[in-house]
Amino acid sequence: MPADRGGLADPDAIETLFARGVTDGLPVVPPTRERVRRAIEATGRDGSELIALVPPNYGRATVEKIAINAVMAGCRAAYLPAVVAAVAAVCDDAFDLHGVSATTNAPAPLLVLNGPVRGALDVNCGAGVFGPGWRANATIGRAVRLVCVNVGGAVPGVVSMSTLAHPGRYTYCIGEHEEASPWDSLAVEHGFAPGRSTVAALAADAPLGVYDHASRTAPDLLATIAASLAVIVNHKMTHWGDTLLVLSPEHAATIAGDGWGKPEIRRFLHERLQRPVRELVPGRDGGEGLPEHVLRKFADPGRDATPIPKFRAPEHLKIVVAGGRAGRFSAIVPGWSFAHGSSLVFRAIDAP
Amino acid sequence: MHDGVFFEDHGIPTATVVSSEFVGAAAAQARALGADDYRTVAVAHPIQPLTREEVRVLADEAYGEILARLTA
Amino acid sequence: MSDYLDPTDSVAVPRTTARRAASLEGKVVTLLDISKAKGDHLLDRLEELLRERAGVRAIVRKRKPTFARPAPEPLRQEILASTDVVVEALAD
Repeated sequence: MPADRGGLADPDAIETLFARGVTDGLPVVPPTRERVRRAIEATGRDGSELIALVPPNYGRATVEKIAINAVMAGCRAAYLPAVVAAVAAVCDDAFDLHGVSATTNAPAPLLVLNGPVRGALDVNCGAGVFGPGWRANATIGRAVRLVCVNVGGAVPGVVSMSTLAHPGRYTYCIGEHEEASPWDSLAVEHGFAPGRSTVAALAADAPLGVYDHASRTAPDLLATIAASLAVIVNHKMTHWGDTLLVLSPEHAATIAGDGWGKPEIRRFLHERLQRPVRELVPGRDGGEGLPEHVLRKFADPGRDATPIPKFRAPEHLKIVVAGGRAGRFSAIVPGWSFAHGSSLVFRAIDAP
Repeated sequence: MHDGVFFEDHGIPTATVVSSEFVGAAAAQARALGADDYRTVAVAHPIQPLTREEVRVLADEAYGEILARLTA
Repeated sequence: MSDYLDPTDSVAVPRTTARRAASLEGKVVTLLDISKAKGDHLLDRLEELLRERAGVRAIVRKRKPTFARPAPEPLRQEILASTDVVVEALAD
């Protein structure tokens, strides 16, 4: 047995791994025994422990298989507990990874990290939060993607049939900028203690930027944001589910300055995002519209003024504060969350 | 595809109808599960913009193949 | 090269397809709607054709809650217990 030389003994290590069809199209770090051993060790678990079955193949994501993919993604060993928790989250039945991985729609698992893990792993929560430059964000998200493909079988264009997909399928991982938030974090709102590290997974489209430089009150700013939320998926989609609103620190401060908290934001947006049946009839402003089984409930849909909500309930509007302290920009991250579809799922990150 | 493989595993002949763009994905998924012989019945893609009548015509066209898939 | 550990997991197990009868005469046929829009139109017409031409004993209509997941185990068991063949539609 030759000494482990980090894959350097093989001058074509990167090409070898491309040839095996186990990459995301970018070079991967060769998963040598020594690297994988260190990664497994960092979890404090046995390599053979089963964390989840990964749809659509329902392949076995053991700690070892997760570690191999995390090494390939470029993770430091210290990231492994976060990766293990994220894999468990996306494989929760409520996330519907089966649908996420097979659909012609575009969702990718967006990971949102909360708690001390952000500082410990140097997770970016600030300027450029969705962008490049931070190893933890880049490789934790990428590791989950590689697990979905290599263990779950979601090979793009073969089993995973997304028409367009989006760049978040390479990696999609942010931290909440808790230090710049006037409110409880996403995790605390969902019942976790403030000192707990967590990962939340949302089956998500690409972020849609909302620019508002001028609004100085909560109602003004949220009116702008509501108008952008109104068109997600398509402008006549209704009864949608979990969707993430990423407020920049400046926008959050404007809203909090009026004494509004997250419940007030949700209530305002939900009430504003309702349209009468007559505006949602297929053929008016486009062929899309309310589905047949909903239209049947109304005697004369073309004249009916009954309000239909964009989101099934205010609670489906999930809110985090993230991004740089300067800039009056927020982002909407539409979930893939039709009825019986995917929901936001949390997992605590266990320190080894 | 998982449903079809499940029913076949339990001795129930199954015809899974898919639009033509998904024949390859269905076959790949079946192969991944070890069901190399599993075959779907294809109808012309796309489905979603079609009227009820247009979809019914697809059923007429596929009927013979569905019957063949369910019998020896 | 073979020193690299395998990131994949194969779940393939040997499987065979079910034995087929010569015809559907006297058989119970379950039409399973995957809950994708328009699939019911196809199954409606298929039900008519089977009734007119195949001599089936009965046609049972079932619907799974969403196309985005495999059918729930109780529904699978219910179908298994009461049918001779299944037609599932329409994935698009």
